[in-house]
Amino acid sequence: MSSAKHKGKGPQSLTANTLRDGLSVWLTAEFDWSMKYSEALITEDDKIIEKMESIGEESERANDVVAPYFIDVEAESGLPVRYREKFRVRGPSYDTATLVPLDIQKV
Amino acid sequence: MYRYDEFDADMVSSRVEQFKAQVERRLSGALSEAEFRPLRLMNGLYLQLHAYMLRVAVPYGTLNSTQMRKLAELADKYDRGYGHITTRQNVQFNWPELTDVPDMLKELASVEMHAIQTSGNCIRNVTSDPYAGAIADEIEDPRPTCEILRQWSTLHPEFAFLPRKFKIAVIASKKDRALIRAHDIGLEIIENDAGDIGYRVYVGGGLGRTPVIGQVLRDFLPRVELLPYLEATLRIYNRYGRRDNKYKARIKILVQETGIEDFRKQVEAEYAELVPLDIAVSPEEVERITQYFSPPDYKDLEDVEVKSDDPAFARWLKHNVLENKTPGYSIVNISLKPKDRAPGDVTSEQMRIAADLADEFSFSEIRTTHQQNLVLPYVETQELENIYKKLVGAKMSEGNIGLISDIICCPGMDFCSLATARSIPVSQAIAERFWDPERQAVIGEMQIKISGCINACGHHHVGHIGILGLEKAGVEFYQVKIGGDPSENTALGQITGPGFSQEELIDGIERMVDHYIEIREDEERFIDTVRRAGVETFKEVLYVDA
Ligand code: HEM
Ligand code: SF4
Repeated sequence: MSSAKHKGKGPQSLTANTLRDGLSVWLTAEFDWSMKYSEALITEDDKIIEKMESIGEESERANDVVAPYFIDVEAESGLPVRYREKFRVRGPSYDTATLVPLDIQKV
Repeated sequence: MYRYDEFDADMVSSRVEQFKAQVERRLSGALSEAEFRPLRLMNGLYLQLHAYMLRVAVPYGTLNSTQMRKLAELADKYDRGYGHITTRQNVQFNWPELTDVPDMLKELASVEMHAIQTSGNCIRNVTSDPYAGAIADEIEDPRPTCEILRQWSTLHPEFAFLPRKFKIAVIASKKDRALIRAHDIGLEIIENDAGDIGYRVYVGGGLGRTPVIGQVLRDFLPRVELLPYLEATLRIYNRYGRRDNKYKARIKILVQETGIEDFRKQVEAEYAELVPLDIAVSPEEVERITQYFSPPDYKDLEDVEVKSDDPAFARWLKHNVLENKTPGYSIVNISLKPKDRAPGDVTSEQMRIAADLADEFSFSEIRTTHQQNLVLPYVETQELENIYKKLVGAKMSEGNIGLISDIICCPGMDFCSLATARSIPVSQAIAERFWDPERQAVIGEMQIKISGCINACGHHHVGHIGILGLEKAGVEFYQVKIGGDPSENTALGQITGPGFSQEELIDGIERMVDHYIEIREDEERFIDTVRRAGVETFKEVLYVDA
């Protein structure tokens, strides 16, 4: 289950997309947003989850991120439970961008 | 090609300014995401799995070289150096930033392009035969009709908030190269017994989670009645289409629930109210628009035959080149299906090469196809070898049009936020398995189509072999349909049974292909053999291991 309000099971992480460039981000232990899932804060602590939720709402109001939501995380692997969320972490398994010389790409 | 008039140009540039202001207000926080989302969607801007995605309209798949170069420039300046040709002949960019999109739209407007109505519950970009204006079997060029529809449907106030999206396709040949019966409305330009030209109107086709083949709404609609009749049809849909359930909101469901007879009666009754035909397009206006699609300045040439000992060139000639209706000219398909790429992806460098080729050899015109390839419609036959050599250098010379590696494939889980499984790696694995060109030629015409979820953007319902990517407990699996047909003999494939892993899937497809080659008679294509021998025998070989 993934949702804006925490309703999930087990360890949770909070994710969103940045407003300006649309890229995936996860909330870190410093309560910042990072493009690296390896820096994501993953916790089962209800107090912390509550705080994450309010930071998410705040960031949305501040127009930093769009539509934050909680995702379930597998305890053993540390990866998201849902297949789709695994993909957001990994990025595309194939992207034609890899064929284009980096110096002519903007990103 | 059609040139925007002042009205179009003003409308598009005011939309760009409007969207620029909306983005500014969004960034400043004056607009919330809930308020902004519908506004960005009206301008073709989606938020996908990893980033924003901008969908640019290519009306009826026709581009000039300047527009193609602009797309290449946008790809480099604002994206990651490539674009994607969709099954609706549009172009998508996978990585734009919100802050750049107003500039992108401004640059598009400078070459008469935009992203309006490429999303949302409105009448979407009208699609057509990619060989329009060039192919001998057409009654007339279908694009003037498309252009009339574009003008009518763009910002039509009554149809901006339909129950759901609305897609129209137009052809003018018996051969259907635009899948008109999988559209909300499909129009076939026909000639009646009296020698008058008009339209056969199909309604209620669609793919998605409930695939339906369109039915005839009107057998012959006189040309002048086109807009009033469609207006009446859209009104009925707007009034009675279901708004309570997104999955039942397309016109296909309304037609199914009402029954085609009653639906037709409702449309005709509404139509009777519309007379006199105050929105009908006058013959003079039709003539004015048609002028823009006059044939290019063809030279007076004789037909020539091009042959080659180079097997790759010979293959390309056989599969990718068709006769243009003018002697001495050909239609060239440029394949965007090399073995290891995503079907329909084209790099900025390739776009520029295609634009250069169009300038040098095809009166500066290019087409995008629903099969996710490109077309140069007006090429001198004696230049084919020159063009081929340049395509080889650009890695666009595959001679595989209509063959097993010419796969339609949606972005799937690699990019799409609605996906249930990946589709790109599956198409790559199929292309890899069957890459041997001799073998592809032996197999002959084969349409494999792959979607990464039930929305069916990859047309899997009408693939000779259709593949649907699904997921269960974190594992992708693929369901197979056989016997679909995207041609004028439109048919939906039958589901064969439980799904497969990607590896099992490729083996299963190979067994079906081998089985076909074993049992085919005479000149039968795969789809013909499936029709004659039945789906069951193919199912048996597909599930032989299971
Ligand atoms: C990436 C963003 C995309 C989203 C969010 C999206 C969404 C959808 C949805 C929800 C449907 C089902 C509509 C319905 O049944 O009412 C659909 C259908 C369709 N889409 Fe997409 N799609 C996307 C990309 C594409 C691409 C890349 C293509 C072309 C390759 C495409 C072409 C189509 C076609 C041809 C259909 C089926 C025809 C129909 O019944 O409307 N879409 N899409
Ligand atoms: S079929 Fe599904 S996965 Fe593929 S593009 Fe459409 S919505 Fe996305």
